[in-house]
Amino acid sequence: MRVEYINPFVESAFNVLKEVLQGEVKRGELYLKSTSIPVMGVAAIVGLAGDVEGRVLFDMDKPTALKVASVMNGEELKVMDELVKATITELANMITAQAVTKLHELGFKFDLTPPAIFTGENMEVSDQDVEALIVPMETAQGKLEINVAIRERG
Amino acid sequence: MSSQTNPLDTMILERTEETRKERAEKVDFKMVTFSLGGKEYGIDIMNVKEIARAGRFTYVPNAAPFVRGVYNLRGDIISVIDLRVMFNLPVEKREADAVESLLILRVEDHVFGVIVDSIDKVVGISRASIQPPHPIFGDINVKYIRGIVENAGKLYIILDIAKIFSPKAEKEEHPAHYEAPRVEAAPAAAAGTRSASARSAPERSQTERSAIVDAEMTSGFVKEGLFSFRHFAVSAVNDAWFRARYAEWERLRKGTDLQLHEDGDADAFLEGFLSPYTGTLWGADYLDAVASILPDTDVRSINVWNPGCGKGFETWSLACALRRKYPQARVKIWANDSDLLAISMAPNMVFDAASAPEPYRTYLVKGMNGWTFDQAVRDSIFFEFHDILNANPLPPVDLILCRDMLSFLSPEDQGRVLADFQEKLKGAGVLILGTNETAATGAWRPVGSGAVSAFAKA
Repeated sequence: MRVEYINPFVESAFNVLKEVLQGEVKRGELYLKSTSIPVMGVAAIVGLAGDVEGRVLFDMDKPTALKVASVMNGEELKVMDELVKATITELANMITAQAVTKLHELGFKFDLTPPAIFTGENMEVSDQDVEALIVPMETAQGKLEINVAIRERG
Repeated sequence: MSSQTNPLDTMILERTEETRKERAEKVDFKMVTFSLGGKEYGIDIMNVKEIARAGRFTYVPNAAPFVRGVYNLRGDIISVIDLRVMFNLPVEKREADAVESLLILRVEDHVFGVIVDSIDKVVGISRASIQPPHPIFGDINVKYIRGIVENAGKLYIILDIAKIFSPKAEKEEHPAHYEAPRVEAAPAAAAGTRSASARSAPERSQTERSAIVDAEMTSGFVKEGLFSFRHFAVSAVNDAWFRARYAEWERLRKGTDLQLHEDGDADAFLEGFLSPYTGTLWGADYLDAVASILPDTDVRSINVWNPGCGKGFETWSLACALRRKYPQARVKIWANDSDLLAISMAPNMVFDAASAPEPYRTYLVKGMNGWTFDQAVRDSIFFEFHDILNANPLPPVDLILCRDMLSFLSPEDQGRVLADFQEKLKGAGVLILGTNETAATGAWRPVGSGAVSAFAKA
């Protein structure tokens, strides 16, 4: 993945999470991963198109998703209902949109697809020929992983 | 002795003539022939379900470039692949809704369509007359070719459809055909060479033999030390350098303690391994040496792969060398490294003008914080955070610059990466390795004067 793309995603994830969760956010070590990646339980996905092709995946376990949604809505949410899913989807949208805005300022043209959310046990995601950049984020609500797989259009 | 021909000989001659005729006439292989980019090809008729003419394929987003889309074949949805794009052959421009010639193929349970320029006819031949592919068939990778056959004055290249389209075959295509001594098994390897040398010199005395064994054991330990401290793997890539350096090391240490005990020892051993101008812009001599290896012909576009580019000094140097040699060409360099910290700095390299060697000055512009390379040079490079051991989605390249990176991969990975280089490099392309590295095996041959360690496909 192009070096120029990395920072916008890391920064916007950090800023948005800090703002919506109103707490301390810690960034883990970035690394690359290929082949199939286990998904922790709740995964929001946003597709990218334009100069590049790829997708951004926001991955967290269920308790974390519930806690994050609770903080963002200002009320205690206990079950994985429509509201929780909509909230996590919105979070994914905010982070990706902010990153794409930053990339636009640097002269890279990306378009977004509407986010989609997947929930379930024992899921994994595989992208055949693309390696993914993993950005782990530690929050008071739990661990989130932002998984960015982008490549230049051939 | 009569001058008559021996009747037995004549009989044998007749018999062989007969068998030859039989062989030529016996049709046991039928193929559908078609043309791609002006050349004739054939596919085993057993793989061809039918032929069709169709257009207006339904576009599939995010599919590989050679997938034209999907097509509704009497209710079955099949994917349509453009063979010309797949093999990088020229495609004639057509109207968007033009009708294309389509071969509907079946491989195992999969049915799909491939687009070709035009479908010719069915030709029956004898299996025995198929000749193996020759490695110089540049357009299509040899591993996809089943053979060549001549029929009615035309040469047909027979494609191996099963190999091209079955994902299973693709996996089996990557054996570690690059033999390299396994580092983890160093003691075992030492034992192997011990028996070999003992065999070659059976008359040697017992003490002499045990001294040789000791020496081989120590060199085995040194190899292990290099791998565990610096992940430097001794293999066919750098064996020549290792032997020379080991002899030198023995002299330096004067027979005291040859073994490596810590990172520092490994660094001391590896001193002098790295290529000239590592971590700095290339000097004029090295720029010229690299330029001299590249073909002198006028090229319009150059694709370069630069894995293990580190902080990017070699990438910028190469970009300038290419700009100098081919001012008109469109240069594209994919530079990648798995060291995030190093590669993060690469795109924003800044100099004070005094420190940049003379040949680079014309490509520098003054930026906010100092001098940087101009936009044209910047636009030619993609710096990527990428691990070469993952999939490398690159178009065919003219040049691979990979200095001092292979040696730091495990021997199995070295073999895999070299096989990938072989596949990604165009027929006339050049591979540049580190000064003390070599790829000279069956698949590669050295080129150039030797100042730069460069190789071409054998």
